Amino acid sequence: MTLVPTSPAGTARSRVRGGPAAPRPRARPRSRGAAAWTPWLYLAPALIVLGALLVYPVGQLGLISLLEYTQAQVSGGEPTSFRGVGNYAELFADAQFWQVLLATVGFATACVVSTLAVGCALAVLLTRVRAVPRLALMLAALGAWATPAVTGSTVWLLLFDPDFGPVNRVLGLGDHSWTYGRYSAFFLVLLEVVWCSFPFVMVTVYAGIRAVPSEVLEAAALDGASQWRIWRSVLAPMLRPILVVVTIQSIIWDFKVFTQIYVMTGGGGIAGQNLVLNVYAYQKAFAASEYSLGSAIGVVMLLILLAITLVYLRLLRGQGEEL
Amino acid sequence: MNSTGFRWRPRRPRRLVAEASALVIAAVVAFPLYWMALSAVRPAGEIESAEARPWTLAPTLDSFRRVLGQQEFGRYFLNSLVVACAVVIASALIAFLAATAVTRFRFRFRTTLLIMFLIAQMVPVEALTIPLFFLMRDAGQLNTLGALILPHIAFSLPFAIWMLRGFVKAVPESLEEAAQLDGASRSRFLWQILFPLVLPGLVATSVFSFISTWNDFLFAKSFIISDTSRSTLPMALLVYFKPEEPDWGGVMAASTVMTIPVLVFFVLVQRRLVSGLGGAVKE
Amino acid sequence: MKLAARLVAPIAALALAGLTACAPGTSDNSSAAKDDRTGTLRLWLFREVSNEPKEKVVDQVVAAFEKAHDGAKVKVEYIPVETRAERMKAAFNDPKSAPDVIEYGNTDTAGYVKDGGLADVTTEFNGWADSKDSDPTARTSVTVDGKVYGAPFFVGVRALYYRTDVFEELGLEPPKTLDELTTAAQRIRAARPELYGLVVGGAYTYGAMPFVWANGGEIAEGRGGSYASTIDSDAARKGIETYTSLFGDDNCPAAKCAGMGGNDTVTAFAAGKAGMAIGGDFSHAAVEAGKVKGKYAVVPLPGVKSGSVAPAFAGGNNIGVLRSTTHRTLAVDLMKRLASKRTQGALFDAMGFLPTYTDVRAEAAKKEPFIEPFVKTLASGTRFVPVSPAWARIDASLVLPTMFQEVVSGKKDVDEASEDAADRMNDAFSSVG
Repeated sequence: MTLVPTSPAGTARSRVRGGPAAPRPRARPRSRGAAAWTPWLYLAPALIVLGALLVYPVGQLGLISLLEYTQAQVSGGEPTSFRGVGNYAELFADAQFWQVLLATVGFATACVVSTLAVGCALAVLLTRVRAVPRLALMLAALGAWATPAVTGSTVWLLLFDPDFGPVNRVLGLGDHSWTYGRYSAFFLVLLEVVWCSFPFVMVTVYAGIRAVPSEVLEAAALDGASQWRIWRSVLAPMLRPILVVVTIQSIIWDFKVFTQIYVMTGGGGIAGQNLVLNVYAYQKAFAASEYSLGSAIGVVMLLILLAITLVYLRLLRGQGEEL
Repeated sequence: MNSTGFRWRPRRPRRLVAEASALVIAAVVAFPLYWMALSAVRPAGEIESAEARPWTLAPTLDSFRRVLGQQEFGRYFLNSLVVACAVVIASALIAFLAATAVTRFRFRFRTTLLIMFLIAQMVPVEALTIPLFFLMRDAGQLNTLGALILPHIAFSLPFAIWMLRGFVKAVPESLEEAAQLDGASRSRFLWQILFPLVLPGLVATSVFSFISTWNDFLFAKSFIISDTSRSTLPMALLVYFKPEEPDWGGVMAASTVMTIPVLVFFVLVQRRLVSGLGGAVKE
Repeated sequence: MKLAARLVAPIAALALAGLTACAPGTSDNSSAAKDDRTGTLRLWLFREVSNEPKEKVVDQVVAAFEKAHDGAKVKVEYIPVETRAERMKAAFNDPKSAPDVIEYGNTDTAGYVKDGGLADVTTEFNGWADSKDSDPTARTSVTVDGKVYGAPFFVGVRALYYRTDVFEELGLEPPKTLDELTTAAQRIRAARPELYGLVVGGAYTYGAMPFVWANGGEIAEGRGGSYASTIDSDAARKGIETYTSLFGDDNCPAAKCAGMGGNDTVTAFAAGKAGMAIGGDFSHAAVEAGKVKGKYAVVPLPGVKSGSVAPAFAGGNNIGVLRSTTHRTLAVDLMKRLASKRTQGALFDAMGFLPTYTDVRAEAAKKEPFIEPFVKTLASGTRFVPVSPAWARIDASLVLPTMFQEVVSGKKDVDEASEDAADRMNDAFSSVG
């Protein structure tokens, strides 16, 4: 199958073969006259869309978190009043908030690590099999990814139901309840989260591996390196830009898990033992239209995720990876 | 189809082990999907019954009939398709340009921009729907498909840009220099050389934006208020999640109907995924 | 390195965006001055799982309405119940998208009124002949601070489903008191260990509350226009004690039942996994589709004293007029037609919705004997949740389920759990003023 049919591409292809295998760590600045505004020209559509639809609302979010702003204010029934850091004070004074925050961090970490491990392992597996098993695994994974989260959670719950589910039967667990214990409930939700989010990692990393020039991999394979070594010392470094985005995305999503916890643990588990931050925000604020408190939780979440992201990027840079 | 980009040439037994495990894993991953489809054809009352048989003796299409017979179901389907396709195409093009800019150029605020792109994803979406609602209202977009397309483009872009960055970066600089030497203009290089080379990445991001748009509930119920003929498929699914008396057969049938187009979309684009740069080099 | 700088830049940019942006959006949602007698009215009704019979009844009502009012049209839109929160908020915020007449869940009344969404129809309601036969709880569910904000559309109520075959086999009689209920439940479990005696759920608030109400307890009491929780009163605690004592290996093991909600208990009963269950009139179809078809009967849930009935929660929906409507007179007429005795009778035949009028309900019970225990339950007095906008928050933050689950799972005792629940409720009540 020819991908680049035009003649300049023919030249390009031959260049690739002779060119350096690894991407260069840094792009060269372009110095010629028009170049200064070229990147901005390319960026313009993205900036317009993101500026209007993301930056502005996020700014509003910060503003709302400082106000008294509930549905009554939104509908103009009561005037908006300035509360300063009152919403934050209320939040930080709630002992449950800290407990939930801790649980969220732990649960999200477990989800991110498991998802990445499963996704990367299966992406490598995909490169080692022929078309039929590859397509089978890809389609199964895509199906898992495409299933709406509410349905996926419901199905998993049905599968693990102590009375009606097949899993306990197959494992011979009798009527063991998966959702009663705190950790067992978190574990069950983790399984579902991994099930529906590993495909994203797998497909992305697989796409990344496909873009790696095959000579590199063949050379490594000829050297007799083990699969793990090839991953560690060849693939992972080359795929780093992709692994970075996959990791950051997974952190962001798993930190914000909502549907799975909400559906599978009945809104936060027995006596709220499985609450995570987003569900907490929903119960405390959004369900009752207390947007100012909800925005304050949103801002706190934003700052935590931003800090994690920056620390992560900085660690990468410490290893010589340029953003 | 068997043009795997690079051949490991492992010993046969090892490949067989790999293929066998791939098939087993595929079966495990697909089992919940099978259970979903199975529940969709079970007669009412059998979905949650004490015998958890992995088959049914009395398959029925009642649930599917309920779903497909829903008022305006075809309309919802079409709306979903329009919204998802518009988002996939627009975000792929916009993200490709932006990714090229942040990868191939150095300029002030580059890193800041990259991080800024992510910020909106870090807050709960519920918090953003209020400002977005007023934005859409003031722009006169409420109750139109535009109210779904625009926010979804915005929410797919950050990931797409970050993702394509990796792919653009992987294309050697020497290629561009060569193109310049050959006299190709910048836009020609961009669209005729670079664009095809990052296709695997574009496919992966398209799958991402397609699925996240296709499955969205929140915007669909917040921005399409008074004109149900502009509703999307998830709204047809939500009908069956009735508090206290949910219709699991309907839920499963509607979800099955919703999942199929995604698989079709994927089958259509996956050839691009398996034949990336590696494959091109191999020829 | 310049980490701090990188962190500061985006935040500064955002702060700037926040400050330079104008104040967050609000909307003008005052009641409209106009009262047009022609034009199109928008009507929102909930979309049912099988919606067609409902559509037929509604179409007839609409046709009659359009015939009576020359130049008036009605556009009916059926919305999924699960999307109501977002849609209603959106409708309050954008009068252009707002409907004129809506169907809404009766526990949402106070919240919608507080949000400034519903029109006060006290005069019209009281002057309406049909409203005389409206039952008192239904009337409570449309009333906030003495003003009426809609017309009751139908009620939903729960009673005790039990397995006739199991009762016969064990020589049991339908329980007459809550004590007998417990005894019967334990006997079933002892004789048939594969069954739950009475299947109960830790997250099944409306299945649990009758135990509190039967013991003379209340969720909260209104004091001078606002509410204060009384869930930690002695009477309420006794009810909590009775309900939570049903979670155990001798009836419904905590590990499995603590997490159950109302639907889970009905499902268990329908699948033949329980001797008894507390289910609604609306659960009838699900039970009929299950394995126990033909092997069950329904009686009112007994109270403390022999022969008494435990007060049940009167759920259901209302029809209301939006404050922003520009067709107030027409909208009120459409509301009356939809909530009229005639329409409610037709809807019972089509959908099984229990009428809110005592006389229409009695008629219905004659036609469909299975609803008789539910009608009896309604007749012996029902209860309602606090009519306060805080209820939305109390409900969403699962205050009552959490309380029951804390006791059931042994995390707290009844006194402590109910005290904490009362505190959380009072927080919510005070925050809405």
